[in-house]
Amino acid sequence: MENEVSRRTFLQWIIASLSAAIGLVLGGTGTGYFLSPAFKKEDEGWIDVGSVREVSRGAPVKLEFTQRKKDGWMTVETRSSAWFLTSNGRDFVAFDPRCTHLGCPYRWDADKKQFLCPCHTATFAVDGRVVSGPPPRPLDRFPVKVVRERLQIIPQALESGKA
Amino acid sequence: MIAKFLSELDERTGWKKVKEALLDRRIPEASGWQAWLYTLGSASLLLFAVQALTGMLLAMNYVPSPDHAYDSIRYIEREVLLGSFVRGLHHWGASFMVVIVALHMLRVFFMGAYKYPREGTWMAGVALFMVVMGFSFTGYLLPWDQKAYWATAVGTNIAAQVPTLGPYIGKVLKGGDVLGALTLSRFYAFHVLVLPALLILFVGLHLFLVVWHGISETPRRKDQ
Repeated sequence: MENEVSRRTFLQWIIASLSAAIGLVLGGTGTGYFLSPAFKKEDEGWIDVGSVREVSRGAPVKLEFTQRKKDGWMTVETRSSAWFLTSNGRDFVAFDPRCTHLGCPYRWDADKKQFLCPCHTATFAVDGRVVSGPPPRPLDRFPVKVVRERLQIIPQALESGKA
Repeated sequence: MIAKFLSELDERTGWKKVKEALLDRRIPEASGWQAWLYTLGSASLLLFAVQALTGMLLAMNYVPSPDHAYDSIRYIEREVLLGSFVRGLHHWGASFMVVIVALHMLRVFFMGAYKYPREGTWMAGVALFMVVMGFSFTGYLLPWDQKAYWATAVGTNIAAQVPTLGPYIGKVLKGGDVLGALTLSRFYAFHVLVLPALLILFVGLHLFLVVWHGISETPRRKDQ
């Protein structure tokens, strides 16, 4: 019988294919592991603040929440807050609780129906417009949405003036 | 085209002669299960390659500090793509390494392959065995779980039993008076910097001598 493939060539093929298989598994695994940050879904950062019922129509409410920032295996928690208001119970607005002038926390003056910053006696209207004082722009707004009767926000100011 | 490229490359690097010397060596006639005994050295080398690759990947996410060691490994296990597989390879590869290296050493010992003129190869091999033991001892601490901590406590305490010098050896191993942050970073430095450098050095020497002397014959009875 004529041997078309010599024993030596056959064994070389076997060795080459086994090496290729091992190399493929190790190389593929390593590549996937190394490149995995590129495929990781970005955390949008929506934070649950509370029930929509905590915000009544007309008067703004300051709600506190815990912000959890993930950094690899670490989670950094910070307490933070925002002013919420609604005119119809469905659409909500969230204001950054810092005055746009120098970052002082402001409060709601129920009699004048205005936000009042104590640092330089600035006042803002209920929709965030500057009524008087030094602030250069209206109150900063946070993105806000309602999911199953729960308020969620991203505590990062949108560009000023945008809703 | 490929053949032309390879011959052009050969003119400039002489790789064909290198390949002949490394891979097309003459080796002793062996058959059956005895032939498998001659694969243990190559198996150790493959395991080292796997350990080096997976180790490099793990080091991208691992932090050798008591605050972060355990959590960073849990992150590798749960969040990194293929992380548990890569760590599994490193974990099992480590155990296999000790087993294969021990078997390789027994093969050489029982076949008398360490004798003249191969004493240098044997001594480089013994150094490699020590380095592998060092890898095992230092790597075992890195997960920083209960098993790791107490195994290293036992290991360093044993070393501290040496007469007179014992307490100093213990302190040097631990990097201080107690087993803690300093021990972990010290063990990590040994595991990823010192020992790999030594290993590469001795593997180079070992392999050069293996190629230089060739593989020794299987010992036979006189009447055979």
